[in-house]
Amino acid sequence: MAKAEYSVLGTSIPRMGGVERVAGAGIYGIDLVLPDAVRGGVLRSQYAHATIKSIDTSEAESLPGVYAVVTAEDAPDVKYGRTSNDRYMLARGKVRYMGDPVAAVAADSEATLKKALKKIKVEYEPLPVVLDAEAAMKADAPALHEEIPLPANLPKDTRVKNVCGYSTLHVGDPDRAMAEADLVVEETYETKMVHPQYLEPRIAATRHEADGRLTVWVNAQAPFGVRSEVSKLLKIPISGIRVLVTEIGGGFGGKATGTHSSAGLEPICALLAIKAKKPVMMVLDKAEETVSTTVRAPVKVWIQTGVNKDGTIVARKAKLIFDAGAYSGFGALAGSRCTQMLAGWYRTPNAHVDGYIVYTNKQVCGPVRGPGGPQAAFPVESHMDSIAAKLGMDPVEFRLKNIPKPGERIAGVPKLRDVSLGETIRVAAEKIGWGKVKLEKNQGVGIATGSWIEGSGPGGGAVVKINEDGTAAVLIGKVDYGTAPRFGIPMIVAEELGIPTDDVTVLNVDTDASPWDAGTVGSRSTLVAGNAARLAAIDARNQLLRMAAKQLEASSDDLEIKDRQIRVKGTPVKALALAAVATAAHNEIGEVIGRGYFDSKAVEAEEKEKGSSPPFTSHAAIVEVDPDTGNVKILKYVAVHDVGFVIHPQAVEGQIEGATAMSIGQALCEQVLFDDKGKTLNPTFVDYLMPTWNMIPKIETVLIKGYPGAGPYGTKGAGEIGCVPPPAAIANAICNAVGVRLTSLPLSPENVLRAIREQKGVEP
Amino acid sequence: MSLNIRLVVNGRRHTAKINPATSLLDFLRDTLGYKGVKICCNTGECGACTILFNGKPVNSCVVLAADAAGAEIVTVEGLAEGDRLHPVQQAFIDTGAVQCGYCTPGFIISVKALLDRTKNPTAEEIEEAVSGNICRCTGYTKIVDAIQIAAERLQARS
Ligand code: FES
Ligand code: FES
Repeated sequence: MAKAEYSVLGTSIPRMGGVERVAGAGIYGIDLVLPDAVRGGVLRSQYAHATIKSIDTSEAESLPGVYAVVTAEDAPDVKYGRTSNDRYMLARGKVRYMGDPVAAVAADSEATLKKALKKIKVEYEPLPVVLDAEAAMKADAPALHEEIPLPANLPKDTRVKNVCGYSTLHVGDPDRAMAEADLVVEETYETKMVHPQYLEPRIAATRHEADGRLTVWVNAQAPFGVRSEVSKLLKIPISGIRVLVTEIGGGFGGKATGTHSSAGLEPICALLAIKAKKPVMMVLDKAEETVSTTVRAPVKVWIQTGVNKDGTIVARKAKLIFDAGAYSGFGALAGSRCTQMLAGWYRTPNAHVDGYIVYTNKQVCGPVRGPGGPQAAFPVESHMDSIAAKLGMDPVEFRLKNIPKPGERIAGVPKLRDVSLGETIRVAAEKIGWGKVKLEKNQGVGIATGSWIEGSGPGGGAVVKINEDGTAAVLIGKVDYGTAPRFGIPMIVAEELGIPTDDVTVLNVDTDASPWDAGTVGSRSTLVAGNAARLAAIDARNQLLRMAAKQLEASSDDLEIKDRQIRVKGTPVKALALAAVATAAHNEIGEVIGRGYFDSKAVEAEEKEKGSSPPFTSHAAIVEVDPDTGNVKILKYVAVHDVGFVIHPQAVEGQIEGATAMSIGQALCEQVLFDDKGKTLNPTFVDYLMPTWNMIPKIETVLIKGYPGAGPYGTKGAGEIGCVPPPAAIANAICNAVGVRLTSLPLSPENVLRAIREQKGVEP
Repeated sequence: MSLNIRLVVNGRRHTAKINPATSLLDFLRDTLGYKGVKICCNTGECGACTILFNGKPVNSCVVLAADAAGAEIVTVEGLAEGDRLHPVQQAFIDTGAVQCGYCTPGFIISVKALLDRTKNPTAEEIEEAVSGNICRCTGYTKIVDAIQIAAERLQARS
């Protein structure tokens, strides 16, 4: 379909920037070499909760080779935060988790730096630590942020503590519907903290330029967020800060929320550079990263569903306790998404969900790939199988029975336009051999579905400049870390301009030159930058055609750009070289510069009227459980997705496969562990287990021809939704294999074995 | 204390004075400037820093530079012939196996070492060759394709 309508869209061209990457020539943040730069490092709290009595930096300062030592005293008294300003870039008076930055040093070498950090004397007065979110809500829990009021929207007479966000959902009359249901099923579920563990360590580098401005290099997903936060925290005007993005070795939302996700690394680096009067480069090592940067938050969920005998869902009630960590971070936003999703994406006429987002003395919640999604889908989709079992119904049939119809609402989507959920279920069932595949002993098959609300968010712009040789340079505010900016975006610009993709360059973000953007988050690269780049390319094309029309004495409507020429359609002899027209622009309009803007408000308004078609997915797995060790091996895995129109199939599949594998990691092995004092027990890759080659089967991705989304040409976001179904799909397959329902992640050998033994009544 | 070593990297001779505690990874990256060798875990767990050490893939973060005295090292920068990429490099691009690309140099070296040994690797041999390389972006699926295509192309060549 794509081939006929379009010249490049729908094909899988080689990724832009691929050659540099395979040749080892891409310059990532960690590869930066700044002349004359010194090394910066952070002293982090040794307590998960304590007041700071005093900090003595004198010994560190007097060490030879030390250029600067900074504490909160050196910075303006300004807090930052997303939903609540509850955090300082360097701890002031109190620390709330073991990764909290307390002081920082700039020194001539790594060795001096380490020595100096050790010489900083901090006197702490330890406070009681609370690591469990449910416990933190109780009256006797220590208060983490005495000064922060409870959320204004909490229902009256809710007696809770340490709650930094509350989200709720109410439809119909769930109390009554639950009371009248034929069957009520109630369960509790739990997920654990995981770290995104992108491979390239987080860096920051800053140079205080001769003209007084600051240049900040980051490998962050939200350069404009970094700029505004550095400006706010150091009280430097926006105009005084330039943020440059390097190549980025993975992010997954872990490098996303401005300075939040880095625990203030960039402003600390800037503060050091100003005080040291030297460029400063900071690199987090992996262990430091695990303890200090943002994570996928752990949750506890109580879920209850009322169904009729025929399998119709009539009511859902749920309660979520979402562990935000030491600061609000992205917690309230991810927690609210999770709250909404607990109502499920099936037809549920009556529902009530309460979501409490709670402070604890641990790492802070960030917008990690599909924030809130897997934490909601693990309970929801495991629960669907539990209900089906109680009803004596087939899990696929039960799900198909409850597919919402166009015009209806599901949580987070007030009005559905088209619903591809059922189609994804049918295709996944067929591909996995549902009901047909012959399973050996201890093998099982499972299915789970998902949806992802393409959260509304700010718009974003694009600029397409036509060089005098007829090539195009594209400026957008999104960054490339294996996502749309260097896969789909150059294709969109090439398509609209009628030029080869090789003639398109997409530049790295430079906040002095690139259009503002909220950050490469929320599966929104193609939606925002793709729509904007398309309009910018069309604008540039129109300018070129108007200029050519005069010379060719033709109407610009009759012209096309092809083979690096502008020519009269059907009369290819009447043509001008594209380069000649672009060059002539110098004396007519200066340069052909196309502008485009993604108008998120207009999309929202349209969706309000006509409804929206969110992406849906179904994953199905066959697993084998070793009953003696509890080890789970995935034998086959199918991921079926409706992501609307597909610009670059290979890239979209790659996003889905990557998200799926990451979520399989959360399902089977990943977990940040703590001792009772709040110390992370497994900060390095030696102990933090992640999926390696042998754990991930070859994922069979099927992109069904879905319904158009709000992206250019009808695309939908594809970067996160793959994370949603895997934990439940695997848990359901395990249950099918050995008959035990695991309600807590990870589904590790230890936990699976314990569940099997408990079920058999054997002492674990 | 310092130590003089000689070694060959990507066919070029180097002589350098090193601190005996320096890892081969830091030496290659910071002293000689081979930034294509990536640093991640620094504990031998992720394979981002994989290089060929006398023809064998090793994690350079857990080897001392001193132990590379007299050795022949190949990094990802040494695979292409002029503008012509090595078939393994090309296969990674063609199959979409390069997302962020941070694991890519290490992966490519591990796969090259494998295909130097055998042009027709079994699934087990592949698993063994790359089990020390972590990719966080691709879910490995496109890398499976890359290895297969690279093997086919190398077979066709010989
Ligand atoms: S950096 Fe050497 S194995 Fe990870
Ligand atoms: S491509 Fe990013 S880690 Fe492999």
